[in-house]
Amino acid sequence: MTSRRRRFVAWIGRVVARVRQAGESARRLGEHPERLALPALAATSAALLLVVFYYPVATVFVDAVTVDGEVSFAPIAGVISDSFYVGWLAEAGVPSVSELPSLGRFGFTAWQAALSTVASVALGLPGAWVLARFEFRGRQTLRSLTILPFILPSMLVVVGFYAAFGADGTLNGVLGAVGLPQVDLLPSLSAVVIAHAFYNAPLVTRVVTAAYERVDAGAVETARALGASRRRAFWDVVVPQLLPAVLVGATLTFVFTFASFPIVLALGGTRLATVEVLLFSAIRQLEYGEAAALAVVETGISLVLTAAYLRYERRSQTERSAVRPLSRRELVPSAWRERATWTARRLGSRLAIVGYGAIVIGVFLGPLVSVVYESLVVDGQLTTTAYEFLVDRQRTGASFQVKPWPAVRNSIGFGVATLLVALPAGVAMSVVTTGDSRWSRLVDLLSVAPFAVSGIVVGLGLLRGLVFGVVVFGYRVTVTGPVAITAAHAVGAYPFVVRNVAPALGALDDQLVESARSLGASRLRALVDIELPLIWPGVLAGAAFAFAVSVGEFDATVVLAEGGGTYTMPVAVERYVGRRLGPATAMGTVLLFVTAASFVVLDRVGGGGIGGFGGGNDGGGDRS
Amino acid sequence: MTDAARVGLDGVRVAYGETTALADVSLEVEPGEFFTLVGPSGCGKTTTLRLLGGFESPTAGVVRIDGRDVSGVPPEERGVGVVFQHYALFPHMTVSENVGYGLRFADPPGGVTTDERVSELLSLVGLPEAGERDPTTLSGGQRQRVALARALAPGPQLLLLDEPLSALDAQLRERLRRTVRRIQRELGITTVYVTHDQAEALAVSDRLAVVNDGRIEQVGTPRTVYRRPATRFVAEFVGDNNLFEGEVVATDGTAGVGQEVAADRDSAATVAVGETTLTVATDRPRGASVTFCVRPEALDPAVDRNRLDVTVTETEFLGETSRVRGEWRDQLITLRTTEPPAVGETVSVGFDPDAVHVVSE
Repeated sequence: MTSRRRRFVAWIGRVVARVRQAGESARRLGEHPERLALPALAATSAALLLVVFYYPVATVFVDAVTVDGEVSFAPIAGVISDSFYVGWLAEAGVPSVSELPSLGRFGFTAWQAALSTVASVALGLPGAWVLARFEFRGRQTLRSLTILPFILPSMLVVVGFYAAFGADGTLNGVLGAVGLPQVDLLPSLSAVVIAHAFYNAPLVTRVVTAAYERVDAGAVETARALGASRRRAFWDVVVPQLLPAVLVGATLTFVFTFASFPIVLALGGTRLATVEVLLFSAIRQLEYGEAAALAVVETGISLVLTAAYLRYERRSQTERSAVRPLSRRELVPSAWRERATWTARRLGSRLAIVGYGAIVIGVFLGPLVSVVYESLVVDGQLTTTAYEFLVDRQRTGASFQVKPWPAVRNSIGFGVATLLVALPAGVAMSVVTTGDSRWSRLVDLLSVAPFAVSGIVVGLGLLRGLVFGVVVFGYRVTVTGPVAITAAHAVGAYPFVVRNVAPALGALDDQLVESARSLGASRLRALVDIELPLIWPGVLAGAAFAFAVSVGEFDATVVLAEGGGTYTMPVAVERYVGRRLGPATAMGTVLLFVTAASFVVLDRVGGGGIGGFGGGNDGGGDRS
Repeated sequence: MTDAARVGLDGVRVAYGETTALADVSLEVEPGEFFTLVGPSGCGKTTTLRLLGGFESPTAGVVRIDGRDVSGVPPEERGVGVVFQHYALFPHMTVSENVGYGLRFADPPGGVTTDERVSELLSLVGLPEAGERDPTTLSGGQRQRVALARALAPGPQLLLLDEPLSALDAQLRERLRRTVRRIQRELGITTVYVTHDQAEALAVSDRLAVVNDGRIEQVGTPRTVYRRPATRFVAEFVGDNNLFEGEVVATDGTAGVGQEVAADRDSAATVAVGETTLTVATDRPRGASVTFCVRPEALDPAVDRNRLDVTVTETEFLGETSRVRGEWRDQLITLRTTEPPAVGETVSVGFDPDAVHVVSE
């Protein structure tokens, strides 16, 4: 009894001490309000994320499990038992061997994502080999260019594919000029898959190149010295170190292409509708219940895939950088004039690279060059009619028509607004969480979550929740289109800021901040005086990313800009597509230049690695 | 200059989830003292220093600086100067800007201007001309001196040095060690120094604490810790030592080997070590098991008591003396000698019962 009482007295003592301590800390905080600035900023960011991402997505989920205010699993059950969506899974019995089982829309969505993943890996892997193993002029620039898919608007890819491979596109122009028959590639599954490869192969290249550069030459040389042939050493030493990176690239590609929207919408046509496209048309037909159910099932699948991606990513991050990377060979041997230099092996590898280069130029450069070309050339004549159309539309267009100048102005406005929201939020979150492993895990997860949830779903949630209005304590809270669009863009852009700033902060010696603080600087002051000056390239890269992501965003914008005057450049491009190539390509060219400007900023300030995207820790994003 | 602080830890515990970095540590550091925390890596000495700096908070217990409980006081309000192993100079500032950084938040002590204070400190550390230089162009030793000047500039009441010399080569380390000690004496600033190098700890400290596995094994002057290690760990960690374990089989006059014991000395006991017996100055009762240590320099061929026949297995030439390792009855023995025997040779040494220190377990 006495010992229990003693313990109780001790406990009371500890509680009193704790309370006194808390009071003391609170008093000190009161004396130094600036000490609250960072936590307050981080808390605001978290609240913002909650309001404009988690809350809207939650509304969608609630929509999916309620019918007329009653809890019901009917909408979801409806989707997963409908053979239209899930194919033979919804049918009784086992499908007969003689006829191919129907895949349903989910099955088809997964099928095109799988094809796209295979195509992306096939197109991306040789690139990693060339970038990691050969030295040539422009190698660094090419390596930097692999960042492009993160900031290239998907609408631009769409219009590029129309310009290059459409009925009136560059390819048919070239074929016609040399007297060959015309081809009709659009719309088709192949076009979708190739466009997805255009988008995601550079991602595979980027991640695998980084892994390749981490392979230690000593390990390969040791294997050779122990008797392994060149090929054997490659399979035993190099391949196992590349495999996690390939898996990272492949899972990320699958996640992106599973929920890809504008490319499938525009290049696939109605016959090839994926879940995301059906989701969009359900919203357009105001069938929110079905849309919500589709969104839940789709998001569930994406989340599982994203979890797999995070696992692979973590595994590939554990590898240390190479003590001595594998040396690069000259792509063109300096003694190329001498016949003796050209062994069969050398000649073979160089020919393969030339062939690969031709494909790369066709797939990557073709569409982008075609955008500019088709906007300027009609029937072989250089003309400015496409641009005149834009000017004309601006002057005389009706109020319901999409005009070019508001699109440009809105895009830049949303870009700047996104920057202003996402940059401080991302920096604050990075500072608060860097160094604390438990927190950084959580933030990693929270910041990747927007990748796993499609822009359409976020847009739907924002529309159903904040734009239509929510009742809070008896007041009806509504936000307008522009605010909702900025919010959606900020949610998509913020992870890019974190992924550029957090690794840079993490790489700084903790003792720099500790020294500053022991010398009298507050945490905020240490950030401003010491950390930000040292990591500003990462911050600037984050800013450029945020801007570019906003400028290129399509999915959420098209949902939220419906009917209003808040359309952006990608939305305008989509509206112009389908009539003649001219207007869409002209608008696309403008978009291309804005995007290119962002890339130049990124490349200049980001140095070699460009923030957190140099290594195996590539993120992805809502790149619509 | 602010008055030197008295520093104290009372029953401090630091735990990270399951792992305990510090278990119930209590310490007192006197004003103006040069106090060293020494121990193997991961023992908790750096954690102790970081508690004082305000970079960690105790899970339980109290940290006091100048009698004041500093829990919850952020680093910037502690008036503590810190020097880290890897200097942590701000790479985007010049040497002067680094040294002057702390003076942005406090007036320089002694009523001088910031510039005067900066050049005063740079002279103190022997780098009067380096002000405009980029710290990344300095050598390791120079950087560490700049780091020291920076820590001292605002006139802290406590200086914390976290392995400040470990990244430097041996010769430079010794020279800089003397510089640090000279400056510390001149300023009379309370200093807590962390090192894993026991020789360094013995050389510089007023007092030192030997830390192991989150606990303090012993606190004392270098002389006490070396001569009278409180635990087996201290005996083995500080300097070379020979440890013996045995059981007291006879005490005092009952020694029975015919060896007389001086009345004014500690009582002697006969201790059975393996198959033989040794005479050791201790008052442990008969039947008690004892662990005792004998320093290598106490093992002397000229002493004819407690003879050990040591078979030499290796010798290391250290300059003035050589360290000789060998085996005696399957036990490793370390000797010091000016004339090392050849490997394989057997040397006979003895030790005085009074040269023994009994380690409490």
